[in-house]
Amino acid sequence: MLRLPDRYAIRAQAFLLFFSLSSSAAAASIALSIADIAAPDFSARGIALSLPQDGSAELRIDQLQVQGRELRKARLHCARFELSTAGMSCSGGSLDKLPGIALEFGYRFGGAWQFSAQLRKAPAKALAVFMPADMPQFTQGSLHGALHAGGDAAGTNSFDADLRLADVGFGDTTGLHAAEKLRGTAKLAATRKAGVWNWQGDIDWQSGDLFWQPLYLTGAVERKLSMAGSYDGARLAVERGEAALAQIGRVQFAAQWDLRQSRLDHATVHGDDLALERLFADYAKPFFDGGALAEAMLSGHADVDWRYRDGATQSLRLALREVGVADAQQRFALRGLNTAFDWRPNAAQHADIVFAGGEMFGVPFGAAQWRMQMQGMQFGVAHAALPLLDGKLELNDFRLRREGDDWRWQFGAALSGISMERFSQSVGWPQMLGTLAGRIPRVSYDGAAISAEGALLFNLFDGTVVASRLKLADPFGRAPRLYGNLNMRELDLDLLTRTFSFGSMQGRIDVDVNDLELQNWQPARFDARIASSDGDYPKKISQKAVQNISALGGAGAAAAIQRSYLRFFENFGYDRIGWRCKLRNGVCAMGGVDNGSGGAYAIVKGGGIPAITVMGYNRAVSWNELVSRLKRVTQGNMQAVVK
Amino acid sequence: MNAMMKILVSLFVLLFAFNAGAVDLEVNTPGVNAIKQSMQARHAQLAPHYASGAVGIASDGMVALRDAGAVPLPQRQAVNGLVAAENRDRNALYAEIANANGHPEWEGEIRNTFAQRWMQRAQPGWWVQSGGGWSQK
Repeated sequence: MLRLPDRYAIRAQAFLLFFSLSSSAAAASIALSIADIAAPDFSARGIALSLPQDGSAELRIDQLQVQGRELRKARLHCARFELSTAGMSCSGGSLDKLPGIALEFGYRFGGAWQFSAQLRKAPAKALAVFMPADMPQFTQGSLHGALHAGGDAAGTNSFDADLRLADVGFGDTTGLHAAEKLRGTAKLAATRKAGVWNWQGDIDWQSGDLFWQPLYLTGAVERKLSMAGSYDGARLAVERGEAALAQIGRVQFAAQWDLRQSRLDHATVHGDDLALERLFADYAKPFFDGGALAEAMLSGHADVDWRYRDGATQSLRLALREVGVADAQQRFALRGLNTAFDWRPNAAQHADIVFAGGEMFGVPFGAAQWRMQMQGMQFGVAHAALPLLDGKLELNDFRLRREGDDWRWQFGAALSGISMERFSQSVGWPQMLGTLAGRIPRVSYDGAAISAEGALLFNLFDGTVVASRLKLADPFGRAPRLYGNLNMRELDLDLLTRTFSFGSMQGRIDVDVNDLELQNWQPARFDARIASSDGDYPKKISQKAVQNISALGGAGAAAAIQRSYLRFFENFGYDRIGWRCKLRNGVCAMGGVDNGSGGAYAIVKGGGIPAITVMGYNRAVSWNELVSRLKRVTQGNMQAVVK
Repeated sequence: MNAMMKILVSLFVLLFAFNAGAVDLEVNTPGVNAIKQSMQARHAQLAPHYASGAVGIASDGMVALRDAGAVPLPQRQAVNGLVAAENRDRNALYAEIANANGHPEWEGEIRNTFAQRWMQRAQPGWWVQSGGGWSQK
């Protein structure tokens, strides 16, 4: 019985070798039975070594465990095998479970060892056995190249890999980290001194697709990554790294991770003249889960220099050149944005922001130059003007700040000189005449809703429209909700009915829409009232308008006109117009000038000669039905129903 | 015994009527409609992934990417996005129905009811979650 040193190269916990010599003159070979070998990342059980006399060796291993993975009944053949009291070596080795790999290893008992493998189109899948079970596993493709490792009794102290990947695929059990048809090269060289690994790696990814949730990168463009750093078991450092990304640019970076606490100790990222379109689409957008930028496209170029340490950004230098932002749903857009600033957490700075124009909910705005003050996560613009259609929006005391994960902002605003003609056109309304003006002391966003204090004043149809208590909840959600009150005074019916092709009416009306709630820009609730304004003015209503009003509430009056002498008159006099609608749950509960009696109520109360009174008979009508009737009427294809 | 049964049945009917009167799950508001329309439009895209088992009906009223490996790699990010968007809509739907009923605090109940409903309506072959595990319907 021969007893060998009980320390294995990779800190074997037990290394007992005993063999039973079963040689005979006829067999001319030696068979050894070797006891189990166990090391932290490696174990082999049931090892049998047979040594034919041609200098080769055959090692049979019942159970080989590497990194927690198991290979059963493996057979290692060494074309040349040497075993002496000093050590052993194997060259021209091959493992039957790993085709395409030529192995070589040498071991001086209790001392240095080295291992190398030449891969010639080795199926990647076969190598899966050496990968930790919780990492994505190779599924397809082949590897070509060389692996070298060496060490001594203290452990591994060098590792080199130089591999070419051909159509390599990998995936984990969840399918959230996977790749297909990867082609390229991967190199890693690492040496260990005094417990610290120094390493250098290069990846040249030429083609293939990678999905690493939530990123999906297709290899249609070449990407190169080269990094050098160190690893001491507790910290992984990238001392210098560079990613060369086609269609984006070059990004230099460095970082250090504390592996035990899963924490980024420090990092720097630097890139000049980076093209933002693909950078944002490929690397930033997939991380947005909802929010304003989740469906945006960016264009233009940026210089970035970011320094991070102690859990916070130490500085961010950013220069944007001709940057554009466009929302896929066309809610907003910004063009020609240029700025440069050097932000630091505790220093007051300013940035000049210049942009060429854009759009917000269909309303275009023009070029402007703003000076932004920065103090930590507080940003402010004291005074700014934004050309809006043919007028302007003046912003006062704009403030933006970060609270928790939310951005909050507020400003005071004054609108002036905007023609309703342009405004109605840009939001897709019928063309209206008048002007839009107003002063809002404060518009604020609290992370959930945009609220306006004060009132917006429109001069419309020769009257006034005041919008107050406006609040827009969930502005970028699936169903934004707008709340507010609209109070209109002395609108000119002549202008109004002409705008909406309703049939001519003369006079003035007041309209109140209180407690308004729009969901997804559709009315969900309101208390509306239309009434003739106070004062003295001509009041006339055309036969067509009478028929249209009648068609909205019922065909009674229209029928009356058709049957009576009134059909000989083009216009009628009236005393008052009144209509009420309380919208709840999709149903409009209606009323007229007064509450009327029984089921009927007067919408137009007659007066003068010839006079006409238009009665409504329906007290409740579906809002959708009312809107479609109104559309039919205003589209001018309405036919009076005669019964 | 018969009388007892009658009382029990009446109680059940009353309880059911009360519940049905209490929460209107079919409440029709523009907000609910907008979300439902968005979900309906997305359903055609999600249906093949329910069938393949990539996406399953979760027990909390959401959908879940349960086997991304069943989706061809180039579509995996898009399916991931569909699932996230569907869940945003479902959250919004439950909140919106609770709001429309005038009881925002009922959101949890409404979510549970919908979770049962989605599971009942799942087609044969789809994967549904119960008790933390997945099974094929």
